[in-house]
Amino acid sequence: MKRVVAVILSALMLLTLFGGCAQSAAPATSSADNAASSEVASSAAASYEKAKEPVTVTIWHECDATIAQTIQDELNKLAPDIVVKVERKEKMSEALKLVGNDPASAPDMYFFAHDKIGLFAEMGILAPITDFITKEDLSSMIPMTIPAGTYKENIYQLPLYFETLLFMYNKALMKEVPKTTDDLLAYMKANTKNGSYGYVEQHSTAYYTAGWMQGFGGFIINDKAEPGLNKQEMIDAVTYHQQFVKYMPADGEYNTVTTLFKEGKAHSIISGPWLVPDVKKAGIDLGIAPMPTINSTNKPITPFSGVQGVSVLKSAAQTKKDAITAILKQLLKPDIGIALAKAANCAPANTKCYDDASISANEMIVAMKKTADNVVPMPNVPAMDVMWSITENMLSAVNKNNADPKTECEKAQKEALSQIEAMK
Amino acid sequence: MKKKLLPYLYSFPALLVIGLIVLFPILYTGYISLTNMNIYHWFNYSFIGLDNYVKALFVMDSGFIPAVLRTLLWTVINMMLQVVLAFFIALALNAEGLRLKNLYKTLLMFPWAMPGYVSILLWRMGMFNTEFGMLNQWLRTMGFENINWLSGNVMAFTCCTVVNLWLALPFMIMMIDGALQSIDKAYYESATLEGAGFFTRTGKITVPLLRPIVAPAIIMSTFTTFKQFDIIYLLTQQQGAKTGADIHTIITYVYEKAFITNNFGYSSAVSIVIFAMIIVLSIFTRKDLKEEGR
Amino acid sequence: MTGIKISRGAKLAALNLILIIICLLALLPILYAISVSLNAHNEVISSSFSFFPKELTLENYRMILFDKPFLVWLFNTGLLSLATVVAAIAVSVPAAYAFSRRRFVGRKAILYILLLLNAFPGILSMFAVYNLLKPMGLVNSYQGLILIYVGTMGIFGLWNMKGYFDTIPEEIEEAGKIDGANDFQIVTKIVLPLAKPSIIVTAVMVLIFVWNEYIFAVTFMTGAEKYTLAAGLYSLQATEYTRNWPVFSAASLLASLPILVVFFAIQKHMVSGLTAGGVKG
Repeated sequence: MKRVVAVILSALMLLTLFGGCAQSAAPATSSADNAASSEVASSAAASYEKAKEPVTVTIWHECDATIAQTIQDELNKLAPDIVVKVERKEKMSEALKLVGNDPASAPDMYFFAHDKIGLFAEMGILAPITDFITKEDLSSMIPMTIPAGTYKENIYQLPLYFETLLFMYNKALMKEVPKTTDDLLAYMKANTKNGSYGYVEQHSTAYYTAGWMQGFGGFIINDKAEPGLNKQEMIDAVTYHQQFVKYMPADGEYNTVTTLFKEGKAHSIISGPWLVPDVKKAGIDLGIAPMPTINSTNKPITPFSGVQGVSVLKSAAQTKKDAITAILKQLLKPDIGIALAKAANCAPANTKCYDDASISANEMIVAMKKTADNVVPMPNVPAMDVMWSITENMLSAVNKNNADPKTECEKAQKEALSQIEAMK
Repeated sequence: MKKKLLPYLYSFPALLVIGLIVLFPILYTGYISLTNMNIYHWFNYSFIGLDNYVKALFVMDSGFIPAVLRTLLWTVINMMLQVVLAFFIALALNAEGLRLKNLYKTLLMFPWAMPGYVSILLWRMGMFNTEFGMLNQWLRTMGFENINWLSGNVMAFTCCTVVNLWLALPFMIMMIDGALQSIDKAYYESATLEGAGFFTRTGKITVPLLRPIVAPAIIMSTFTTFKQFDIIYLLTQQQGAKTGADIHTIITYVYEKAFITNNFGYSSAVSIVIFAMIIVLSIFTRKDLKEEGR
Repeated sequence: MTGIKISRGAKLAALNLILIIICLLALLPILYAISVSLNAHNEVISSSFSFFPKELTLENYRMILFDKPFLVWLFNTGLLSLATVVAAIAVSVPAAYAFSRRRFVGRKAILYILLLLNAFPGILSMFAVYNLLKPMGLVNSYQGLILIYVGTMGIFGLWNMKGYFDTIPEEIEEAGKIDGANDFQIVTKIVLPLAKPSIIVTAVMVLIFVWNEYIFAVTFMTGAEKYTLAAGLYSLQATEYTRNWPVFSAASLLASLPILVVFFAIQKHMVSGLTAGGVKG
């Protein structure tokens, strides 16, 4: 009988093992809380104490390692008073939904594109950055980058750099860059043969096709969270764009189109700055040209832009106010923009950075800066979250299964309205 | 008295962890389904009764019924192929005199030895890609036209089935192979002495003896197949790489319709409804289950 | 008689041929990954792809082994798998034994309900599990992951081993009981050796589950030094723009090697303790 008890006990011990660790972990978190609250209690004493005991600020990110390292290096300048940990978190936006209001597991700040701002602000996990710095501090930012991080009148993001799509071409293959979309179509007709393509893009994704839609004056969703998928401009854009797709690889997926361009099998491509290092490594003589103008509207293809920046979590806003203010102030300086531009060809959000010689000499960054007036920041309303998928469904139906544009647009609009309703 | 309590004591640890990790999330989802937890009330949600269930009924629109039928078709086709193929492969692996069987067995397990998303990615990029995929490269070498493997509905469904079989067969082979080991060889010897052939032995001895052992695994696989999300989603529906094929199963359909809205109360209600549906469907197999429960 | 022998040899040859073809089919995408991982250029997909890269290189393997925390991930996964397998077997064996051998109130109902619980679409479970682990302080800890994995595999373990235990005639145990053995002795001395394949199958199932699971590992673990292999692999390919296919392929292949070694090693133990004629009722 004793043996039986032993088995049970050992099984139970495994369980208490979990419990035991739970107990040992609990005091650790609560002591962190205590430390944090005592800090608030006496700010004078806290700032005195800080000299001895550094404040640790965690910043989550999900970006390229070089960029993260550049930010880390910049913020290391605040040591030893403030220790910043720039930490990678996979599936970051999912994780933030989980832990957003739990100081024990949530980060203090995060670095991400601006398009989730509305979602997180609405959930109530973000603190406006104007709690730490003034609006005047932001006056040197490129104008487009501020509304991108603004949701319901509050600014939630300090922009660091922005990304936008560029018209890139292979100088060896494309001698003259088409000025208009009709020219582009003619070029594609003449040069798409034998596994070579005149022009490629990710033709059935919302992010890449938005440039066409917006060039036609259409929109996926406006800042009042009203979808515009069945507007005449949108139907025109999708219908017009459909004829280009016939001369592009059917699946229009990232790896496919970029590989074609890198192998010199596509003469031109609309893609992001992230593609440039690979293209250069592949030995392509890369040219960057202005977006072609759409003939019927006389407006260039007007792509989305993504503004990358830092936001502050509400839970950290009170407990680590001074440290976070110091970090934001540090990031307001042009240094970080210049460093990011040098390290990873990022186009800084801070106009002051462009005074630096190395940046004004960078062809790609200059090209991106020029397009900054001709881009639409991705909508940051929470409803945009459902629009990506709906728009892409609509585009793939039209482009990949030859569905009728008008029918699909109407269908998608209905779907969008019902899903936005379902969010509430 | 003590004796009566013993079985509960023996099974308590297992039931406790299962209760925590499997049962609790279901109950929790049930609870959330009665609240208005969505991005506008993420932390300050309140009880709203059955409103989400009323809303969930709207998910069952014109696209839902085809998705249900497709899911049933998907489950039946996949399970039949899976069990039959795995059974014969396992039998082959147990043939007497097969020297390399350990090597074969190990190699056959390879698809199972890497995370699913890795192999699905491999299939999508390496096999099915329209420009560079191996299948199309072979077609071109043989002088045929490219095929858009994942765009047409029937073709995409077939491709998903192939990938699902590829991923699921190792598990099934291993289960059946393991179960075959537990069959007393004496049965075969006496049957062979009585002059029974391969098919008679298989039908009269192997299958009946295997059934009770393999049945739970098959039932659990059936649920997994029914709920299969990754393969269909990653091959045809992934954002940024949708192929235009509409082969939604129930789970991918409600994912696009409900889960994507960040409305947790609503999505929970939808989950519970689907849970209830699968349970009702599985009542058809209940007779089987009872037997297995002895 | 010789006729039969020849046909037997022919049959075996045919069988070998069929199995080789099946293996090749199963390995097709894997061979592809191997070829990519040995390729000197970062091109998973290339119009000039062939199974034999023009420039062979082991650089990708060197890079994954030494420039990335691959070995740390391997160690983490090994530790986590071992702990999970031990815990899972420790909780499911007694339960499976109880459900197989004893008749008690609620037995059938529990078995049936456990099976039906599998029907729940778990996409939303993450939240519930998080809310469960948070008060226990198990977020971002291996204990938390072990608990999740043991719980998830618990139903399979219980049902699978119960199924095997059922096939072992109770008469064998009777003999033990007469000799005065208690339950623990009966299980460890008689049942377990006889049910060895089932224990191995269950353990391998748990092992593979832990080895391949990444959603919980990625969501609940923060910091690359705490990742498991599957989570680490996920992080290698998560950003499409920087995805390095050859390194990723090399990593995937390396990550699956230990599993294959385990598979190969267990094969000889997969033979049941039940020998022909040894137990006749």
